Amino acid sequence: MPRPDGGLITETNRQYYAGAQQKYITDAGVGQTMTSTFDTDLEFGSSDPLNGLYGLNNFVFYTSPDALTWTELTPAATVQTATATENNAASNEVQLAAANANILVGMTIYGNGITGNPTGRKVESVDQATFIVTLDGTVTIPGAATTPVLFQFDSPFTMVGNIITIAASLLLNSYLKIQLKETPIQENHGSYEYTRLTDVIDNFLIAYVGAGKLIPSINRTDVIFHAKRGLQEFSYDTLKSIKSQELTINTSLSVIIPQDYVNYVRLSWTDAYGVQHTIFPANALTTNPYASPAQDNLGVPTQDSFDSNITATSQIEAAWASNDPRRISGAFTNQENITSDVLSPGGFYELALGQRYGLNPETSQRNGWFTINEREGTFSFSSDLANRLIALEYISDGNAYDLDARIPKMAEDALYAHISHGILASLAQTPEYIVQRYKRERSSKLRNAKIRLSNIKLDQIVQVMRGQSKWLKF
Amino acid sequence: MAINVNTVYQTVLLILNKEQRGYMTPVEFNKTGAQAQLEIFENYFDSLNQQIRIPQTDTDYADRVVGLDEKLSIFKTSGNASYQNSLFNLPSQFSGSGKQQVTTTPANTTALTLNYTINAATASQISDGVTNVFVNSILLSEFEYSISGTTLSFASQPIAGNAILVDVYPKEFYRLGSVTYTNGAYPIQELERVDKGQLYHLLGSNLTKPSTTYPIYTYEGSRIKVYPTTIVSGININYIRKPLDPVWSFTAGTGAYIYNNLTSTNFELHSADQTELILKILLYAGVVIQSPEIIQVAASQVQQEQTNQKS
Repeated sequence: MPRPDGGLITETNRQYYAGAQQKYITDAGVGQTMTSTFDTDLEFGSSDPLNGLYGLNNFVFYTSPDALTWTELTPAATVQTATATENNAASNEVQLAAANANILVGMTIYGNGITGNPTGRKVESVDQATFIVTLDGTVTIPGAATTPVLFQFDSPFTMVGNIITIAASLLLNSYLKIQLKETPIQENHGSYEYTRLTDVIDNFLIAYVGAGKLIPSINRTDVIFHAKRGLQEFSYDTLKSIKSQELTINTSLSVIIPQDYVNYVRLSWTDAYGVQHTIFPANALTTNPYASPAQDNLGVPTQDSFDSNITATSQIEAAWASNDPRRISGAFTNQENITSDVLSPGGFYELALGQRYGLNPETSQRNGWFTINEREGTFSFSSDLANRLIALEYISDGNAYDLDARIPKMAEDALYAHISHGILASLAQTPEYIVQRYKRERSSKLRNAKIRLSNIKLDQIVQVMRGQSKWLKF
Repeated sequence: MAINVNTVYQTVLLILNKEQRGYMTPVEFNKTGAQAQLEIFENYFDSLNQQIRIPQTDTDYADRVVGLDEKLSIFKTSGNASYQNSLFNLPSQFSGSGKQQVTTTPANTTALTLNYTINAATASQISDGVTNVFVNSILLSEFEYSISGTTLSFASQPIAGNAILVDVYPKEFYRLGSVTYTNGAYPIQELERVDKGQLYHLLGSNLTKPSTTYPIYTYEGSRIKVYPTTIVSGININYIRKPLDPVWSFTAGTGAYIYNNLTSTNFELHSADQTELILKILLYAGVVIQSPEIIQVAASQVQQEQTNQKS
């Protein structure tokens, strides 16, 4: 397989498939750096697993003497033990029994009685001839005349702007490795399908803006605006940007609308075999009132001490929640159980038998109902869906997270056309025929993008068309 | 690249004295020379603005935009902006006043030695200033040496015994160019310049608010305010520096001024502008010596040259 050679692929096979990047150390010493060349930016909280911020790291950093056995670079991995031969009162000098070339400037001293070292005294200098370690403050080392102490880097490496700086000393001919965690590796898989929005913006400024072009100059913020708006518009009907969540409906019969929700595509419950059953909206049957003010005897809303209406519990919602959906669908096997519903409002002696011809397909389904409660920001479900596992498929606008800010390459040209048209249409001196030209270009490129992204494959069409020879029985 | 100040002065004197019209003293020449140089220099920007709107030919040496860029490239420079009280200062200028001549150790070149330490100037003074290096009174081109910190390194072994002279001039900020942000190995981002009127709208809009990917800045009081305000370092400023004022320096001889190249400062303009420079100095010289004829001829020549350049 080729290595990145100036094409659009910038990661090695190993970076892409294994999420790992390795470096061979040709110069021993401290303060060395390793630059990450992953497409994914490194995220760093701490290099100490005992630090609460360590969980923010999206990578693990390893060292190895032979590229076979890897050890994570943590404070514990940098520990150097020594024996202090002096046991004086507070002093910023520690006399060691023997030289240790691996005790380095920047290390923190720990030991019996100073364990934890709340002052975090660090090594300022080491005299390998006299074995005296000078600290940046005083410590008192209690105990015997020979007291074991240890030195370690509390932060063996740091990361800024994808450059990892290693405080610990590295051995000649050893190895370093950045190993991405599972989630960033998975998020990166298949990313070649997309172009980042930042690239689109930069490309547009290079190719479409400049002296002698239709757009001689434009603020970058204008381009950013039109690019993001274009991504939003494309997300609604062109891009394959359907998101989904697997949720369980609890006894409150509601789930919170996702943070990046713009509109729903489908809600469905899943049976024991993983087959989805579409849940239908109950728009024609009920609603969730946005406000339900408490009223007095004359029907006038009442106010609290802050002059705002007092909100009462919605009776409509309560009634819908207690409703047995079979009353709507007519899915009773024993009609005598029906007392009062949409099918037989008259009760037992006015059964629905013989009153209908066929079924009303809009209401005759057993997969339950949902409504959107705008007041509470939730999806509310009918009672037969309690404890069901559901899949909520929805669309976002492509701008919620940085990772979303990318566009399928199939629609990249359409986005350029969208930005061009948006800018030219808003410039005062643009002739109308130019605006119209770009409007048509945008329209046709967007149509092309939709066709491309609809994934119509010949084999699948052939398979579907094979059904045309079936005999239909009426 | 620079235009030799002595060549210009001698040419001006030659034209002025041809018919015994008058004489221009070195002081008058230095003043009018600085004025003419600045005039031509400022004209670069207007000419660039005009030419950039005109389709250019792709033939070598005929593209006027490229030609102007070549002239401006002499003065293009960059520097890091320091962060202070939520604002970024423009790149620090040479901290001395005027030209500073500094010594090297040893003062003369020696055999088998390429590297010499520059004394009497700090590394920041050198990096923030314009440096001229003379060996045996001859100005070296920038390809013949390099300076890192306070170490002067010759590209090839100089002749042993030649005197080394280093001049450091202040870099004066003239015009702000692009501003960039560097953070580790992330791609370098250019900041967009906005005014206060736009700023609050941009900050208030979720779609266009500045980010570390697309930062913006305002420029007020010769200082830069960068948004988002989490950016406190890594700002680099590309700018145009002001040309050094020319100095025709001399030692007093017997009845005449004797040119001293070691203490003189050449014109920094591109050598293609030598003719225009001389004509402009002549124009001022005509005023100085009160010669309408000189003024008329020089003005006519300047006009003709400019028409030729821009049409």
